[in-house]
Amino acid sequence: MSSFDSLIDGFASALTLNNLGFGLLGTFLGTLVGVLPGIGPALAIALLLPITYTVSPASALIMFAAIYYGAMYGGSTTSILLNTPGESGSVITALEGNKMARRGRAGAALATAAIGSFVAGTIATAILAFTAPSIADLAIQVGAADYVALMLVAFTTVSSLLGASQIRGFIALSVGLVLGLIGADLQSGLSRLTFGNQAAVEGIETVPVIVSIFALGEALYIASRFKELGWNIIPMKGKALMSRDDWKRSWKPWLRGTALGFPLGVIPAGGSEVPTFLSYSVEKKLSKHPEEFGHGAIEGVAGPEAANNANAAGALVPLLALGLPTSATAAVILVAFQTYQIQPGPTLFLTNGALIWTLIASLFIGNALLLILNLPLVRLWVQLLKIPRPYLFAGIVTFAMLGAYALNASTFDVQVAIAIGIVGFLFRRFGMPITPLILGLILGPNLELQFRRALQISAGDYGTLWASPLSKVLYTVLIIALFTPVIAKVMKKVRKDAHA
Amino acid sequence: MGSLFLLGFIVFWDTARTELPAFNLTVSPKVFPYLIAALLMSLSAILAIQILRGGTATPEGLEPGDPILKSDYKTFCLVLGSLLAYLLLIERAGFVIAASVTFFGVTVAFDNKKHFRAAIFGTLFITFIYFSFTRFLNVPLPAGIFKDLL
Repeated sequence: MSSFDSLIDGFASALTLNNLGFGLLGTFLGTLVGVLPGIGPALAIALLLPITYTVSPASALIMFAAIYYGAMYGGSTTSILLNTPGESGSVITALEGNKMARRGRAGAALATAAIGSFVAGTIATAILAFTAPSIADLAIQVGAADYVALMLVAFTTVSSLLGASQIRGFIALSVGLVLGLIGADLQSGLSRLTFGNQAAVEGIETVPVIVSIFALGEALYIASRFKELGWNIIPMKGKALMSRDDWKRSWKPWLRGTALGFPLGVIPAGGSEVPTFLSYSVEKKLSKHPEEFGHGAIEGVAGPEAANNANAAGALVPLLALGLPTSATAAVILVAFQTYQIQPGPTLFLTNGALIWTLIASLFIGNALLLILNLPLVRLWVQLLKIPRPYLFAGIVTFAMLGAYALNASTFDVQVAIAIGIVGFLFRRFGMPITPLILGLILGPNLELQFRRALQISAGDYGTLWASPLSKVLYTVLIIALFTPVIAKVMKKVRKDAHA
Repeated sequence: MGSLFLLGFIVFWDTARTELPAFNLTVSPKVFPYLIAALLMSLSAILAIQILRGGTATPEGLEPGDPILKSDYKTFCLVLGSLLAYLLLIERAGFVIAASVTFFGVTVAFDNKKHFRAAIFGTLFITFIYFSFTRFLNVPLPAGIFKDLL
């Protein structure tokens, strides 16, 4: 059956009343949580994970997809009106969007963000639908040793590209790897790092860790810096509409943003930070009004927003086809799959084909629902920004604690959640990025598994790790990724010295 | 920073001290912990050198060079205390009480003046959450002391 036929079947199944209902609920919840300041898509999905424990896999995944896209739509609203981006992908949006809002152009900024997200999301999902199966076909031939190389590349790029300091990225990764070690070893049953604690033998649950590292860590960090933080909502006047001129200035950035965002989501380039930033600088270069940048240029909202959404869809390609998450949000979705004992990877389209096509179809539907939900109802969402801050954080914290306990009804998970919350606080205080930790925690055990599998096949010969052509290419990429920041730094210094 | 080195050391020590089970594996379950421990210890050493050379950390949300204000430990401890209260109360007193206490504690920490209103609102909100999770989503939560009532 061709991709197209499968997709049509997917639509048929996604459009049943029940699944459509879950999709609608997901878009609603996603936007709701996305609008709340300080909550990005990764945390939004993690917070809402407990809700899906009891529904069927298809409905749950449809809801997640809707939350995923919804949280991004909601996040841009907060960036524009409040100048507090919920995640790295909307930092750039806040830059120009907030300036536009200050100049009384909040409506146009919100509209270009929403329509741009829709355009980019739809195009990118279409590319996803037609490339992921063929990538999965190729990936079936990828051996264990190649997987080891692939994961090492993902670790390196994510740790190197995020945050200001490469070394801190790697430290965050290592802490995640340590957390992933805790519990009984899968192959030998040996207890590692449990210190005699029975509850720890089963390992650390990923959901409480993700929820608390974001939610509790953020709450504790904001608490510690409580006095210095301002809170300034810009009132929105008029409707979320764009003038003819706005359209003229927006459509090219939307398409360029999509073209940048999607491929950078497919390769492990460290989430949405790089593509949004690239899109911003491209628009600045190409704009006929470069002087407006920094004072609220609409291109600076349209491009990065489209790049952000296309990037999110792109990140689903390696997630579905290889089981390899390339961003914090994708990592959370991977956990959601695993809750249902579904392991994303090359065989996913064969074993769970119907489910995946339903998911992809629901991405299209969700995108359309979100556009309808966001443009006319934007005022409703804006009201959410008026929730007093103490109530907001109290709500986030209690929800996180609820999720930590409800998963296994165990106080051990709550202890872990609080401890991880403190780690999250320390990470923020000392400038360590969070995403590498999450990737380390989730992919670490997988990496060890593939590593041992490769060596078992080769009967202990370590040479097997770089024997295949693909792994040779991947290790070359790894070395380049590892040293690019260092070389760039040296070059900069040399140039500076030459000028001095 | 020192704590990171310590973490690496703990992993190393725990791995070294555990005894291998009797069966034969191509790769021992100790290989990975050793690698990670080595990685952590060397990274923390590099970070130590960086810090000594003046590369101090930049808290999230600030630009390098921004003044770093002293942390507000009173608010921080109140939030942390609320979390610990939840841990202590969840199985003894049940979800409604534990979560309401946490909710209230966090609002107090974030400088809410209207304590009475926050307590009432928080309790109502938590009760609503409790019922929607237990009744509609079938996620069990401990009823605690209201066991016979709810």
